[in-house]
Amino acid sequence: MNVTPLTRRPLGCLKATLRQARQQNMVFARHMATETAQARTPLPPPEHNFFPLQDRKTKTLRTAFAVYPSTVASGSKSLAPPPTNALQSLHEAQIKKMDPTGARTALFAKTREAAKVGDVLMVTHRRGGEPFAGVLLSIRRRGIDTAILLRNHLGKVGVEMWFKVYNKNVAGIEIVKRRPKRARRARLTYMRQPKHDMGSVEDLVFAWKRSRKVFSSGKAAAGAAAAKKAAAGKKK
Amino acid sequence: MAPRLPARCWQQLALRPSTATTALLLPSSAAASPLQQQQLAQQPTTLPYTQHRTVKTGWSTLPARGAKPQRFNQVTSGLPALTTGPAAALRRKERTTPVRAGVLAVKKGMTVFMGRTGARIACTVLQLDRVQTVLNKTRSRHGYWAVQVGMGERQPGNVGAPLLGYYEAKGMAPKEVLAEFRVRDESGLLPVGVQLMPDWFHVGQRVDVRGICKGKGFAGGMKRHGFSGQEASHGNSKNHRTIGSVGPSQGSGSRVLPGKKMPGRMGGHRVTVQNLPVLMVDNDLGILVVKGCVAGPKGSVIQVQDACKKDPPPQDFIEKTRKLLEERFPEAEAHLQAARQRHLELKEARREKRIAELISEGVKGAEEHADAIEEILAASANERPAELEQTQPL
Repeated sequence: MNVTPLTRRPLGCLKATLRQARQQNMVFARHMATETAQARTPLPPPEHNFFPLQDRKTKTLRTAFAVYPSTVASGSKSLAPPPTNALQSLHEAQIKKMDPTGARTALFAKTREAAKVGDVLMVTHRRGGEPFAGVLLSIRRRGIDTAILLRNHLGKVGVEMWFKVYNKNVAGIEIVKRRPKRARRARLTYMRQPKHDMGSVEDLVFAWKRSRKVFSSGKAAAGAAAAKKAAAGKKK
Repeated sequence: MAPRLPARCWQQLALRPSTATTALLLPSSAAASPLQQQQLAQQPTTLPYTQHRTVKTGWSTLPARGAKPQRFNQVTSGLPALTTGPAAALRRKERTTPVRAGVLAVKKGMTVFMGRTGARIACTVLQLDRVQTVLNKTRSRHGYWAVQVGMGERQPGNVGAPLLGYYEAKGMAPKEVLAEFRVRDESGLLPVGVQLMPDWFHVGQRVDVRGICKGKGFAGGMKRHGFSGQEASHGNSKNHRTIGSVGPSQGSGSRVLPGKKMPGRMGGHRVTVQNLPVLMVDNDLGILVVKGCVAGPKGSVIQVQDACKKDPPPQDFIEKTRKLLEERFPEAEAHLQAARQRHLELKEARREKRIAELISEGVKGAEEHADAIEEILAASANERPAELEQTQPL
């Protein structure tokens, strides 16, 4: 009788069991979730509906699958779809941050009092420099990225500038002169043509500044004069 | 050391003893009888003493019988590690494979971030819609480490039967999109069924963003590759936007070289934008805001993962996000096991054409299920200490 296979077998068994144990060990190390779920009470089977699949020809039930509701994940935890107007909410939050008083929003809102295309506006920069005045050609409404286009003539050359309404570099926006009649276009690009060009708004701005001096108190006027002087000094 | 002799050698020798040995053993005068010779042959003989050992005298360079084969091509043979093959490929890609899985998102559009100092940063808003982990892919089973992630919701009527079975076994609703994210090793795998929220990333970290860019259809050379086109005048006729020469003529083979840029389909391929900084994460809105632009139209599906060319996020942040997942979804594994159990039963029922009865009866046997799960958990709990004991000495 051949004895060797019998003597070999136990060793082989041990080897196989050891290998299995090693693999098992790997499997358990892999699933971190098994560790967490260990001590918890088991859940009832998850709630679901059946989705039947029909046979196309006979119109009878072919098979069916359990379909879990999309709002349920991992036990009782619910999965809510995210808000659809996330971008709008983000815009609102940003605007609130950049314009706490709501003055800039009101200035370009679609109301009677707000600035309209065709009005002459003046924009003051935060870092000083000459304020830029011009006729409002268009308002690009993009939430926090809302911008206005002003056109003026500087030294007989047409100049257009875009300003981001909510940018901190824009210190202030003032209405110099309102257009007497509502413009019948949203964008007054035709004002670039020589026939319709408004030319320089310098005289309008000058008149407006003078009228402000008259109506405002002496202190403010003195302050304005001082500011003008300072600006002039900077220029030098 | 002389190698051990195979049996066939010394058996042959024993049967035909050399004259030298007999001469030594026997007196020269007496002639060896046939009987004596037979006895001699039966005696166990060792190697005969010879001056020169050759193959003829039983010398062999063969390995011993029953010895393990020489492992000349194995890891243990001292050869350098292979530079090809699955293991080598994984090793090679290890550094550029992110540590953590990524998420799927929908491109909502672009906007700007206004800074306090007047800075204006263009950014893209990505929204995460019920992003869940669906499957872990492992080295031993699939050949690499990866996490399959699903996003959104799909009507069951728009899902085929095989996928319905897949989601049934996962215990989750059919997802709109599935994608997998390679991870560096097993530590990157996640529990199945948990939701990944925007706080999976932190503000300031760099991410790689993948999307499918807008298709432009069949485009000419000017649009597709930025060729200059041809002149408007100087005798040019009806060839203003065509490409010019496609290569030299005779002497250079009179052929078009492979890879020559020509008109053709443009766009509609996958584009990766690397190292985009994360500007904002918001769990309530479910949004992730990254700096700059991302390929694809609004509403397209975007893959976001830790940047592969930057350091992974700090270890404490990684641990924090893992802990958050466990806190938010402590029942994930139990839920998955329950769903699997249910799936196996339903599968059996489908095979045996009992599914119609099951539907008419409604969802039944909840208590039995609970008992079954309890048994499974108890069994696994019992196995665990035994295994731990086994592993600790090792």
